Amino acid sequence: MNDDHDYAKPGPGEPDLRALSALVDNELSAAERAATLERLAVDADAAQRVADYRAQNAALKALFAMPQETARCLVLHRRVPWWQRAGVAAAWLSVGIVLGLTLGLAPNWMAPRLSADQVAFAQRANIAYAVYAPEQRHPVEVAANEKVQLVNWLSRRLDRSLVVPSLQEYGYALVGGRLLPGDAGPAAQFMYQNAVGERLTLYVTRFSPDTTAVHLLSDGGRNTFYWANQGMGYALSGQVPETHLRPIALDVCGALGGHPESWR
Amino acid sequence: MSFEADIVVWLPVMKRYARALTGDPAWADDLVQDTAERALSRWHALRPQSNLRAWLLTILRHLYIDQLRMHREIAVDDENAPWSRMPAPPGEVDSLVLRDVQRALYRLPVEQREVLLLVGLEEFSYQEAATVLKVPVGTVMSRLSRAREHMRALLAEDPCRKGTALKVVRTVKSTP
Repeated sequence: MNDDHDYAKPGPGEPDLRALSALVDNELSAAERAATLERLAVDADAAQRVADYRAQNAALKALFAMPQETARCLVLHRRVPWWQRAGVAAAWLSVGIVLGLTLGLAPNWMAPRLSADQVAFAQRANIAYAVYAPEQRHPVEVAANEKVQLVNWLSRRLDRSLVVPSLQEYGYALVGGRLLPGDAGPAAQFMYQNAVGERLTLYVTRFSPDTTAVHLLSDGGRNTFYWANQGMGYALSGQVPETHLRPIALDVCGALGGHPESWR
Repeated sequence: MSFEADIVVWLPVMKRYARALTGDPAWADDLVQDTAERALSRWHALRPQSNLRAWLLTILRHLYIDQLRMHREIAVDDENAPWSRMPAPPGEVDSLVLRDVQRALYRLPVEQREVLLLVGLEEFSYQEAATVLKVPVGTVMSRLSRAREHMRALLAEDPCRKGTALKVVRTVKSTP
């Protein structure tokens, strides 16, 4: 009736078939390979199988081309490819930093006491914003309606008593928070959202050198103000203009025991 | 280079594998997102010393198997099956033949489909595939062998076909 009979009749045993597969996949030793090739020369059925297996591989590769559009998707889609945005953010950030350092063109915000640690910590905050702020399903691990548990939990994990400043004055309500891996141990990310769904994140991690000066990371419309105080590093990120974010960062810095007056 | 950047390098691979595994671009995007999220949140505890690619696809596959229990397995005769709406890529290989291969792929049991994709598409070694699938290398070999034979049988069983697999063109219903 059709080719089905070929597959139903007793054909080569499984070990033989495995050898044909392994030939296609380059998994045979030199000796096995030579023996299998010899067999193909005299066994048309086996040779056909190998050709079919190769054709299957070729068809799969044609069906599923490697996505090349990573950078373009960034522009086309808004929500889903957060990871692409995160990726591009990380890449551009690295490129920018390397270029800046190499060429000695560090902008003002990177001076005067730029260290690799600072960059890493701000970069993580920046990426964490890019990763979680667009997230609709799980923007936070613990929601704001369990604020006490949230703060206790993250305080325990960071081994510091954390304070979550209110941003109600600016129209941002707390959504909740999550625990993230950081370079120097765990980090906490608190997320805020305003009435039109714009989000800000406050990233908190242990960070020993105090830096009274504020720094700003800008990347693709996303701004991160960061500073350190009493062994903790803080970063406030948002996809809002620097001028909009700056006064909020000043307030947050003050609310967390920092010295915003030194920023000016 | 940061861990995030290391993961970013493998995003296209994760995306391709997820698309192939699920046959559903939307589901694939969710899977990649979930995988990257899980990888980012667990790298301190679980980051492998080597072969990040295998580690990421292990997570992706684990999530897929989990989610599969909640989704119903894709009904292949359903004209609305997500894979039937995936555009067949242009290229030298006839797109209708590719459509047949695609259809056959989603008629394989998931154990055969995943090993065929890991080795045939992603070009994983048997050892790497065994790591991802958490089975012995021997199991990889026998599953792979059965998957390829199963594909041959599925591609040959179409009564409209004559001759060898991957040569005969048949008409497919156009999709909306």
